[in-house]
Amino acid sequence: MRVKTVIGWLFLWGVLVSGALLSVLTGPGGFHLSEIGSFLYFRLPRMAIGIIAGGVLALVGCSLQGIMRNPLVDPWTLGVASGAAFGVSLAVVTGAQGSLVLPVSAITGAALAIGFVYLLAGSGINLTVTRLVLSGVIVNFFFSSVVMLMLILRRHTLGEAVYLMMGNLGVVYTAKAFWLLVGCGIVVVLGCGWLFFHSRELDIISLNEETAFSLGIDAAKMIRMTFLVGSVVVGLVVAWTGAISFVGLVVPHMVRMLFGPRHSLVLPGSFVLGAGLLLYADVLVRNLAPSGLPLSVVTALVGVPFFIYLLRKSQ
Amino acid sequence: MSRNCRNSLKVRKFYFLILILGNLFCGARHPVHSEAGAIRCVSLVPSVTEIIYALGAESLLKGNTVQCDYPVAAHQIYKVGDFQLPELERIVALKPTIVFATVPVHARLIEKLRELDIQVYVSNPRTVEDVFAEIESVGEVLGVKLKAVQLAESLRRSLKAIPAFTDTPRVYIEIAAAPLMSVGNSTFINDIVRIAGGRNIFDDVAQPYPVIAPEDVVRRNPEVIIILHPQALRADVKERVGWGQVSAVRQDRVYDHLDEDIFFRPGPRVVQAIHLLAQLLHPDSTN
Amino acid sequence: MNAVDLQEVFFGYHQKPLLCDFRLSITAGEWLGIVGPNGAGKSTLLKLIANILQPWSGNIMIFDRNLKELSRREIARLIAYVPQESHFAFEWKVEDIVMMGRHPYLRPFVRPAPLDWKAVNEAMELTGVISYRYKGMNELSAGERQRVIIARALAQETDILLLDEATSHLDLYHRTEILRLLHKLSSRKKTVVSVVHDLNEAFSYCSRVAFMKAGSLVSCVNPEGMVDSGLIIRTFGITPVIAHHPVTGRPQFFLPGADRTTGQ
Repeated sequence: MRVKTVIGWLFLWGVLVSGALLSVLTGPGGFHLSEIGSFLYFRLPRMAIGIIAGGVLALVGCSLQGIMRNPLVDPWTLGVASGAAFGVSLAVVTGAQGSLVLPVSAITGAALAIGFVYLLAGSGINLTVTRLVLSGVIVNFFFSSVVMLMLILRRHTLGEAVYLMMGNLGVVYTAKAFWLLVGCGIVVVLGCGWLFFHSRELDIISLNEETAFSLGIDAAKMIRMTFLVGSVVVGLVVAWTGAISFVGLVVPHMVRMLFGPRHSLVLPGSFVLGAGLLLYADVLVRNLAPSGLPLSVVTALVGVPFFIYLLRKSQ
Repeated sequence: MSRNCRNSLKVRKFYFLILILGNLFCGARHPVHSEAGAIRCVSLVPSVTEIIYALGAESLLKGNTVQCDYPVAAHQIYKVGDFQLPELERIVALKPTIVFATVPVHARLIEKLRELDIQVYVSNPRTVEDVFAEIESVGEVLGVKLKAVQLAESLRRSLKAIPAFTDTPRVYIEIAAAPLMSVGNSTFINDIVRIAGGRNIFDDVAQPYPVIAPEDVVRRNPEVIIILHPQALRADVKERVGWGQVSAVRQDRVYDHLDEDIFFRPGPRVVQAIHLLAQLLHPDSTN
Repeated sequence: MNAVDLQEVFFGYHQKPLLCDFRLSITAGEWLGIVGPNGAGKSTLLKLIANILQPWSGNIMIFDRNLKELSRREIARLIAYVPQESHFAFEWKVEDIVMMGRHPYLRPFVRPAPLDWKAVNEAMELTGVISYRYKGMNELSAGERQRVIIARALAQETDILLLDEATSHLDLYHRTEILRLLHKLSSRKKTVVSVVHDLNEAFSYCSRVAFMKAGSLVSCVNPEGMVDSGLIIRTFGITPVIAHHPVTGRPQFFLPGADRTTGQ
């Protein structure tokens, strides 16, 4: 392995490990060795959720950028986040009760969004990347509008609005919900594994579809499956944490700057860096503003300048 | 300066003073009559609607919002739209002499109404005492000042009836579960907790509705938990992983299924909320 | 056994048929040039053979095996397709692109073997791109990029090579280089099928030339023999001036030219 690659990996893992340590050692009340309870019940799960959320968003963002041959694409193109928000808003408006209500409704909403996207995008030979993107945009608009409508009709519009846009790693769960969370985590890990497995295919599809076909890849199927797997995985994350901006857009670029465009390096690299950066963002959020500055604000603060830099570079 | 000059200066100053004082009082302290002499009001704020009904002045209410749902009769009033987005045309079509609105939700609308020369009363009570003062102001505006003062007084007395408590339990008010949200010290609910003899565990937070970390709640160890949203039941909160050592959970002092409106609306029912909360916080000393 | 056999192939776009009952046989080791006006279906034909498009009905046989029955990987080991110029959204290195040609032989999570590197290096040498193997694709000229893409197709180590106007963007020097390379490959028994824009190029290098018009095969001719100008008229609608190449003796075609007498 080339020296530059090794250094790159050291840097990425450094970010993740230091982020994880900070995440676990900081928080309300600092860190005391005697407080194993708080460590186990709060810090560790929060760190795990942060790693998975950040990693997944960056990973899916990277995959989508490859599939769509466009580096300026991010997971919210899928329409999945607004579907999850729709599910949650519906649950809140109907006053449904129970500890599983929120995550289940979010997952259902996300699944609904995925279903609609595929329904709209057509099938067989008509199903192109362009159609998938357009369907995602339409579904996004549709669900967002419905959610806006519900927010307006609902009397206390606070919690839901924040959930929609801001993102938060402080998930509360009962013992029952915990198993649902673990289940989601397993599915998410499997989905990520699928994406890693197809790194080379992603490389080739990011050139053009004819080349992919001629090299033995069913490009249409790969594109559909990548969208599907990406949607499911992002949906399962968004259901718990809400929508976190910029991680999926910006992290893959940072990793490409280190490693070049090969997905066998960039996909896992994005996961590691996305996880690390999100943990850092969360540490900032938890310690700087006790009243919970939204995660998306922090990620945007870092993401926007970098994004502007990218735009200028591409000119 | 010549005597004439001095006199005219004095007169001018006097008129100037009148002008200023007149403006100061012009706001919303006089019953607002139209040329025909009748008061027509539109309420864009559910809590003010409740006040209007409590004062028996509902005949003057020509329009309210979809969210104005208490008392039940308020449903029958013509709806000018949503609390978040009332429709200007509908309001104007009712030819109101006074419109009750609030900030920051209606900030833009208030500007537009004033441009159209429509009187606007801006409601923004921060504390419980503000609510009583508002009842009196609204009463004055609608020409039922006497009734308003009486109502405000009776509410104040009802609060005084609450005995002094020996302890001030720590209270955690939860208004949302995903993400976890509570109330800060600049809110109305915080004041309710204070008067009911409790201490909001997040009263050190300035932000009105902060998103909080679950770990933070557990560390602050509330003795009473009040759930003001339907997404979590008592049983769910008690089963939350890591919350088992919280005092409120151990003592089983978690309360749900409360009428959220009486806590969120700065209207006459606030007293109900305070009494209810006082009972929950001090089960031994209240009757 | 023929390399490629198209039997009664029907295909079209948007439900409008283009190729109807199309039949063509391509012998192993020959270099077939396909010429014709725009919209004749030349690229379509190539894509059908490469399994990028699937016929509505009919069979396409590759060395007597039906395309429909072969897996994509197997097809990719038999047929390599060189598309027209592609755009690179990311900063790929030449070496990376050529290594993609080994995809039908690689397994996930397993690094390329020395065998794979050998094929890649040979391909890069043959196409003359080995000296800039670490350069980015977007740093190269159009001609150099095209050669890299051909190298990728060569790294696939297939028996059949399909090229869709592969020399269009090249300057005279590189064009000649590529044509010589293809000729060398053809003489090594590789079956080459190329869609050629320039009639003269086809006649100078190919072992057989197929004329297509409006989805039909007009005729297949041996470029070393005589050519009936009626064929050109029927296919392209113009009357060419036919002469013979001073060195190879093969027919070459000249545009009618401006009429000196009338000044048109």
